[in-house]
Amino acid sequence: MLTFIVRRLLLAVPVLLGVVFVVMLTVDLLPGDAVSLMLGEHATPQAVAALRDHLGLDKPLATRYVQYVGRLLTGDLGRSIQQNRPVASELADAWPATLELTVAALILAAFFGVGAGVVSAVWPSSFFDTLARLGSLFGLSLPVFWTGLVLIVIFAWWLPWLPVGGTGSPSHLVLPAVALALPSTAMIARMTRSSVLEVLREDYVRTARAKGVRERWVVTKHALRNAAIPVLTLLGLQAGQLMGGAVLTETVFAWPGLGRLMVKAIFARDYVLLQGAVLVFSLAFVLVNLIVDLSYGALDPRVSRQG
Amino acid sequence: MKQAIRLLAGLTAALLVIGAAGEAVAQKRGGTLTIVRPTDPVSLEPNLETTAPGAWVYFNMLEGLLTLDEKMQVKPALATSYEVMSPTKVRFKLRPNVKFHDGTPFNAEAVRFTYDRALNGKPPARWASLAGSLAGAEVVDNLTVDIVTKEPYGPILRTLAMYCMGIVSPTAVGKLGADFSRAPVGTGPFKFVEWKTNTHVIVERHNDYWGDKALLDRVIFKVVPEEGARMLALQTGDADMVLFPSPAQLPALRKDPKYTVHETTGIRVVFAGLHAGMPPLDDVRVRQALLHAVDRKAILDNIMEGSAGPALGVLAPGVFGFKDMQLDKLYPFDRAKAKALLGQAGWTPGPDGIMQKGGQRLSLSWLAARGRYPKDGEITEAIQAMFKDVGVEAKVQVLEWAAVFQQVRGNPLNPHMFTLGWVTSNADADYSLYALFHSKQTPPTGWNTSRYSNPRVDTLVEQARRSLNQTEREKLYGEVQDILAKEMVWIPVYTTKEIIVTRANVKGFNIHPVEYNLALWKTWLDK
Repeated sequence: MLTFIVRRLLLAVPVLLGVVFVVMLTVDLLPGDAVSLMLGEHATPQAVAALRDHLGLDKPLATRYVQYVGRLLTGDLGRSIQQNRPVASELADAWPATLELTVAALILAAFFGVGAGVVSAVWPSSFFDTLARLGSLFGLSLPVFWTGLVLIVIFAWWLPWLPVGGTGSPSHLVLPAVALALPSTAMIARMTRSSVLEVLREDYVRTARAKGVRERWVVTKHALRNAAIPVLTLLGLQAGQLMGGAVLTETVFAWPGLGRLMVKAIFARDYVLLQGAVLVFSLAFVLVNLIVDLSYGALDPRVSRQG
Repeated sequence: MKQAIRLLAGLTAALLVIGAAGEAVAQKRGGTLTIVRPTDPVSLEPNLETTAPGAWVYFNMLEGLLTLDEKMQVKPALATSYEVMSPTKVRFKLRPNVKFHDGTPFNAEAVRFTYDRALNGKPPARWASLAGSLAGAEVVDNLTVDIVTKEPYGPILRTLAMYCMGIVSPTAVGKLGADFSRAPVGTGPFKFVEWKTNTHVIVERHNDYWGDKALLDRVIFKVVPEEGARMLALQTGDADMVLFPSPAQLPALRKDPKYTVHETTGIRVVFAGLHAGMPPLDDVRVRQALLHAVDRKAILDNIMEGSAGPALGVLAPGVFGFKDMQLDKLYPFDRAKAKALLGQAGWTPGPDGIMQKGGQRLSLSWLAARGRYPKDGEITEAIQAMFKDVGVEAKVQVLEWAAVFQQVRGNPLNPHMFTLGWVTSNADADYSLYALFHSKQTPPTGWNTSRYSNPRVDTLVEQARRSLNQTEREKLYGEVQDILAKEMVWIPVYTTKEIIVTRANVKGFNIHPVEYNLALWKTWLDK
């Protein structure tokens, strides 16, 4: 078990190095230059050259990569080009907000998604099933910046129950978490429904029913546990996507998270800040996937952890 | 019924008069003003930040020697008087008994320190390029300082009055080091309290301010990136003031007594630039034809919908040295005139409706960003359609701003046209007429992206830059604009408007033509 975790974490290292390289290369290939954007329309060429030199941006890509990785090994994420502030501080400011929002959205999505999916599967073609399927279609199709604004209009303006945006209290979390969770809830509901429906047709379910196990037990103990693996995989993927995909939600609700930090870094061509943010995302993604893999074993003893 | 309405109207008018009269006397102190704006500052110190999100905040905390009031006049701030000693030296008397927010005294040494740190720092301040020939400050005595320039520099007063020229506390810089940029210490009417990244910046009244103390207790600058959400924050009362309001909602807000729309003509001119160094635009008749082909009024009425003013030339009216170029008289919208001018230049209608000459179609490549300036994409498309009506094809390439910036800043310039906006940052004509139209100022040196070249203009802008006689300078710039009007290398489209919406109980706020100069010390809340 421990060897497995350590191995997986070590495997993450080349992944992260690759991520750093790809980000660096992409920013390098993008048209536009951090320094001239920073100094604006009015900068003299001398001023641009001096600042490029000062920031080390005039060095070739390979040199910058080696330098960056070297510093990374000592735990130094560098300083943001645009703001001249340690990237670690920028990330430390933004990361908790993103985590809070993602976890809240994930809990909502898992709870309502799995719930709706199971009910739909147990009573297929019922009124609730139709409603849930229709609802999930909407959930998947509506863009979050639209649902976000509609939620604000309803719950912050017509019914002044919740704040328009920002952070500070649990009530600030409600609307962004709901808006962010909607598409994931819909996806999880659909996946759960089809997965449970499939399992309910399995022989062992028929056997269980034949030997007189109560329907509630059939569903929760036999069907759900077996149906959980694809749902869990999806949940893991969603966790990663929610973190990265929160940009729009963060924008609509003025949520000070990593997504907005990354967009800002891209527009400013601030590759140091961008790398820091992408590294954090990648690391989180690797960790979530590890947790998902580990839980497979807990759900299904057949999944081997040796190796 | 009619009478009742009339009576009501009369009553309302009477109430308004009473209200206006009451306002003059009943200034109230206290309260917190909450402002929502789209982005967080890069930094709160001018050396690292020259863009609006930071400037809006530090303009209320840091003061320069001079300032520019909302009528675009230079006014004393930390200096009380000045005297021109030589063409490269201006002596300033400083205001006595002024204290920084940290309690240390403001003096000549602080001025010298600020400019030395900015101009000789490694790297220099990001505004160093804006400051032209400014070389630094020399201490004469505790309250007298000489501002020195590398060469005679006419725009020096307006340069020193720029929003980013605030004097900082040397003691605080020494103590805070790199953290100073997140918690600056100046002499202004507000002082720094807190900055929560991407959430808010808070400033509060500086009670030892040398002048009239601010009326508000606190100001909170919140970040709300989404336009719709910003407007909702105003409507729910979560915010008192919106920067960058939604243009679509302005007509309704202007009529709504719950809000006040503050607006004034800005100092940015948005234009379609013409590459005068490349055929076919090197022919002045073709350029003039393009000006006649564009219905500028239609663009203002139908695309800008009141959120911008007409472009009266290459400069905005608030800028020192501005002269109305009489564009509507010289280049009225007239398709027949446009076609006639193209005909004179040898272009004849081709089989596909596009003009041609010697088998060559009149097709222009055009580089534009979308979203960099208000409605820039829409304007580019509208002009493209107007060109087509006179037989000119425009092939527009829309790219993200960073990419456009790099290409326009490049040498040589490949497209025939480009959509840009130019703000005269120091409010002095030198800043634009020199960098944009002097023949030696082609990129990467300057911003003569049109590759305009006229020896007379070169002489005039050089002369005006070196003169410290403001009357003479104004005359020289007038002549430059007269010449430019004849040889147009731009299609000026609009002058920006600065627009800020507040709730109606926000009083005493004066909007400034320079976007960065968000002065809040006279603002108060009528609860």
